[in-house]
Amino acid sequence: MDTLSSSFRDPSGFVFLHDKIVHRQVNNSFAASYDAFVSSGLYDKLVERKLLVAHEEITDGSVAGTRDCYRILKPQQIPFISYPYEWSFSQLKDAAMLTLKVQHEAIRHGFILKDASAYNVQFLDSRPVFIDTLSFDTYTPGTPWVAYKQFCQHFLAPLALMAHTDVELSKLMISHIDGVPLPLASKLLPFKTRFNYAIATHIHLHSRMQQQHADNALDDTPATSKHSSLSEQSLKALMEALAKAVQKLTWKMPDTEWGDYYENTNYSDRAGEEKRDLVDRLLGSIPDQLTVVQDFGANTGEFSRIAAKHSALVVSQDIDPVAVEMNYRKSAAGGPVNILPLIQDFSSPSPAIGWGNAERDSFLQRSHCDALLVLALVHHLAISNNVPLSNIAALFASLTQWLVIEFVPKEDSQVIRLLATREDIFPDYTRDGFEAAFRQNFTIEDSSPVAESERTLYLMKTRT
Amino acid sequence: MLRTLLALTALLSVSQGASAYLDPGTGSMILQGVIAAIAVVGFTIKSYWYKIRSFFGKGGSASLLDDDEDEQRSD
Repeated sequence: MDTLSSSFRDPSGFVFLHDKIVHRQVNNSFAASYDAFVSSGLYDKLVERKLLVAHEEITDGSVAGTRDCYRILKPQQIPFISYPYEWSFSQLKDAAMLTLKVQHEAIRHGFILKDASAYNVQFLDSRPVFIDTLSFDTYTPGTPWVAYKQFCQHFLAPLALMAHTDVELSKLMISHIDGVPLPLASKLLPFKTRFNYAIATHIHLHSRMQQQHADNALDDTPATSKHSSLSEQSLKALMEALAKAVQKLTWKMPDTEWGDYYENTNYSDRAGEEKRDLVDRLLGSIPDQLTVVQDFGANTGEFSRIAAKHSALVVSQDIDPVAVEMNYRKSAAGGPVNILPLIQDFSSPSPAIGWGNAERDSFLQRSHCDALLVLALVHHLAISNNVPLSNIAALFASLTQWLVIEFVPKEDSQVIRLLATREDIFPDYTRDGFEAAFRQNFTIEDSSPVAESERTLYLMKTRT
Repeated sequence: MLRTLLALTALLSVSQGASAYLDPGTGSMILQGVIAAIAVVGFTIKSYWYKIRSFFGKGGSASLLDDDEDEQRSD
């Protein structure tokens, strides 16, 4: 059985691949809770509200489970798995609100979330959706929420840090797989946040109380059997308070090197229009069915929106959190919704993290696609980051069958700017050198100059 | 003041669902009791306020998490 290494923490079941399709086993130990979850109407309600992925139960024995198997579920498939350290501010905020809505609906039906991990959320059609069908436990009136700490670590702390300290601090989720430790968040947040009631309580005071009780852990009886009875009314009020805390967190986007890029480029309106038509034509000439297109260096997603006409999904990645935020807001508000904006630094993409380096896959493990769109990026990789062109070609060829790529020569003002402050040690960075490097891994199927610029767009196919 | 609140929240012994697997943290458990105790007062007042509003024909919900909030997002 091809068990996914991301789902060992919760003993209620696990996730595995069968014929490349993700399935979920419900273990016997969780049978009663699972049955109650479905029969209570909570499952139907969550699916109806598009808060939870739908699933079908496999009852014909076509997919075998382990000896401990109670049910095999085949959930609606998520075409591209992303992680919280790749989400923009609003994506993480929407994921937090989703988790609270799911919890609110669960309490109404007599259930409670037994975890509040950001990894339980994925993006589908430009909106967050809860994917862990086994997170629902029957609610015992009077009990507190065991996942309160996890919610603060996975959502509130990174959101507060992004809003009040630096938006790049979502990357702390890479080094801390169970969310940002509250003492660390408390230390990094500015002093003024101590006067913000929600942050002062859920993060600063929370951190102090954690530390205080960690010191006395041996004197305390287990947390679950001792402190704090919480009425259902109080639990609901706590969820509303957390929702208000999340909603009040806003990130004031700074001026950015890319944020106003499209208003301030090398292109005239006509040249921009022609480039869009050219990208459209090249993608349209690919004879294969496109399911996933990756757009590397997507900026605010202008060309991802063109690619979205040709592919079921476009994963639209950029290094700039402002551009990704704008991209997400546009996709979520006006569509097309088959765009997944993500933050990615291609010079050092997301690593594999967690137990055995295998709980969360690296960027490259997840990035296989039918076509790859790389516009106005190669000069950043080759010149700003010194990556040889042949290495860039080899990496792209390992990810995709089709490549639409733009070469930006040294005569282009963007490259002149990059070379202005450093020595030019790139004698092979020419159009001929670029083509020679990429021909090692690709055949050039089509190429066309971009109007009113020195740039060239190529359609390439990976050599097999 | 804080000690009194802590004592108030630590009155009853309760048990968790059988499939709980997270360590909820003692400090976190106590704190959520305190925060919830304050939140329930605020939310009750807010709910009455919205009831008064609806009496005068004004819409809206005291809850940020009810279904109708879904409608605010366009697809």
